[in-house]
Amino acid sequence: MHEVSIIRSVFNSLEEQFSAEEREKLTQIDMEVGLFSNIEPLLLQNAFKAVQEAENKFPRAQLHITSIPIKILCENCHTESVIENYKFLCNNCGRASNNLISGTELLIKRVHFED
Amino acid sequence: MAEKSSKTARGTVACDNTTVQLLKANDFVAEAIRKEMASRGILLLNITSSAGSGKTTLLQETGKRLKDRLNIKILVGDLETERDAERLREVGIEALQIVTGGICHLEAQMILQALQNIELKDTDLLIIENVGNLVCPASFDLGEDYRITLLASTEGDDKPKKYPRMFFTSDLLLISKSDLLPHLPFSVEAAIKDAQEVNPEIEAFSVSSLNGEGIDRWCSWLLEKLEQKKKAFAERQRASA
Repeated sequence: MHEVSIIRSVFNSLEEQFSAEEREKLTQIDMEVGLFSNIEPLLLQNAFKAVQEAENKFPRAQLHITSIPIKILCENCHTESVIENYKFLCNNCGRASNNLISGTELLIKRVHFED
Repeated sequence: MAEKSSKTARGTVACDNTTVQLLKANDFVAEAIRKEMASRGILLLNITSSAGSGKTTLLQETGKRLKDRLNIKILVGDLETERDAERLREVGIEALQIVTGGICHLEAQMILQALQNIELKDTDLLIIENVGNLVCPASFDLGEDYRITLLASTEGDDKPKKYPRMFFTSDLLLISKSDLLPHLPFSVEAAIKDAQEVNPEIEAFSVSSLNGEGIDRWCSWLLEKLEQKKKAFAERQRASA
């Protein structure tokens, strides 16, 4: 529900990092979004276009989103498990665990510029 | 993010996993709040739920029972109006309304600002009543010691699996409006089982602010956590003396 705030925050991060001249040439932003981040990729894309147009920022940039699975690391048998259907159980020993090692990401991973 | 260089950025620039500022800034402020509360021995609770599941009514009942023993302050978040703070003041608890103006959650920065307007000296218990929403508030740490989520019997027992992040990040699940359970197809067992599949460590029990079921247990839970916090505070005081 706060996808617009997230996009504004992405833009602010990039504005701090890159000059106006560089931002003109920015063609793609790669983000990693965890499946447990409560951020919906489709809504993030819509928010991206809306803020881009409304605030006239990063005119040439496209947003590329990679979804990151929810994973736990079992404290008992040290096995990594991908969590499906929000059952936080170790796939190896079956023990319950909420030792999350991925899934809450909301990261700017890379940005691409025109050469 | 990579150090800013004098060279113009070209091609692909790796950002070393820059966490989106909004959340990074939030976590930074939340940590500052946590330290401030620890330095004063104040127990900070964050109460979340859907809209209309009985957070304010539960806090009214809690206030009535504990206000003579404890110094309680409540921060209450809503998109608009002062109504919830007024309801809490009616039962004699000091409450400050945070109007978010359309924002769907409270952020740590809003708490930090609100703290400027309340007297923390001698406060035992500070409770944040979050915006009614099981989605967005889940991602925002407010510096709380414990997160408590209410799930009303009228909402249906399938919510823990529908809004998993909230239940994953909560320490206590209260099934509220338990007085209505005889009239509803709500299985307390199924709701708790689903919540514990998402979060094996979550504690859970039923409460009713109308007939009083579970309210003693809730108050005991709260007093026990407060005692632990005060004990840790006293130990730190002794160690630094």
